[in-house]
Amino acid sequence: MINKKFITLIVSIGSIFILTGCGPSYVTKGTEFPKMYEQAPRSILILPPMNESTDAEAKDYYMTTTEMPFALMGYYTFPTEMVSDIMKQEGVYDTEVLYNMPLDKYYEYFGADAVLYTRIKKWDVSYMVLASNLTISIEAKIVSTKTSEELWKYTGTVVVDLSGGNSSGGIAGLIANAIVTAVNTASADYVDHAHTANRRIVYTLPAGPYHELHLKDQGVQLVDQTPVKK
Amino acid sequence: MRIVTKTALLGVVTIGFLMSGCSAQPKPLYNYGEYSESYYHAKKELSPESALELQKSIEYSIENAANSRSARVAPGMYANLGYIYLKGGKTDKALESFNKEKLIYPESAHFMDRMIKKIEVSEGKK
Repeated sequence: MINKKFITLIVSIGSIFILTGCGPSYVTKGTEFPKMYEQAPRSILILPPMNESTDAEAKDYYMTTTEMPFALMGYYTFPTEMVSDIMKQEGVYDTEVLYNMPLDKYYEYFGADAVLYTRIKKWDVSYMVLASNLTISIEAKIVSTKTSEELWKYTGTVVVDLSGGNSSGGIAGLIANAIVTAVNTASADYVDHAHTANRRIVYTLPAGPYHELHLKDQGVQLVDQTPVKK
Repeated sequence: MRIVTKTALLGVVTIGFLMSGCSAQPKPLYNYGEYSESYYHAKKELSPESALELQKSIEYSIENAANSRSARVAPGMYANLGYIYLKGGKTDKALESFNKEKLIYPESAHFMDRMIKKIEVSEGKK
């Protein structure tokens, strides 16, 4: 009898370990991003993205996707193209310089409560023996212009299998597929998937003042992306 | 029999409610129309045609703002339009648009005042 109970206990503990280890862990907007609720910024200045991908065009294309989702989440978003233009007129052409600018400058010049930095981590198609994947990965971060504190940060990744299930036809077929994939992957497709990546990012953002859920969505769950401390 | 029928009816109604609850998408907060697509086209290949397409999509978004959850013109739309006018030398229309942006979104006031002042300074020089 004792043995049986002992085995049951071991199995239970084991299951708990497996369960906690495997699935993603969830946190809420309220516990993960408390400063977003404390400071409650009304306006976000969206800076041009920092392109860390291998595609030189990614920056211009991704830039056209960021304004809408953040505005739809209830924030006043400054028009990205106009802001980028004005910065150039002020002599700042380099995104690197913009990303290292003291934050109070953005408050002084634009009156923005917060700044959004986006980094394009991946924007490419990788070809493997039997498949090809399109990957877009974006890291987004909102920082306060008043306290220079990070208020919110999230990463969204989209991986699309482009092989389309057609794996017959031997090596020649595979090469043909790879060529077709390369030709068919137009920049518009990347932009479509970038919109999806943005949706995955923005749903984790506490709603802004123009949204019905402003200061009411602390309980919304999201996947915890905080790196595990060792 | 009657009770069974009533129960069945209730079930059908409940399922109906649940299904409509799932499928009914609320309108988006703002009506952007084709703004995102035309912005992308203008970035991909800047030409008089793509610039005009972008301007038209901004105007469409402004004119059809009522067809959205907020019934308000989206943030930055009047500023975008004003900036297009400014680049085209239509300073009166630019000022009008920047003032409208400011009126709808007080968050933009600081930036819009800066743009308005720029126009006034350059007008004064003429």
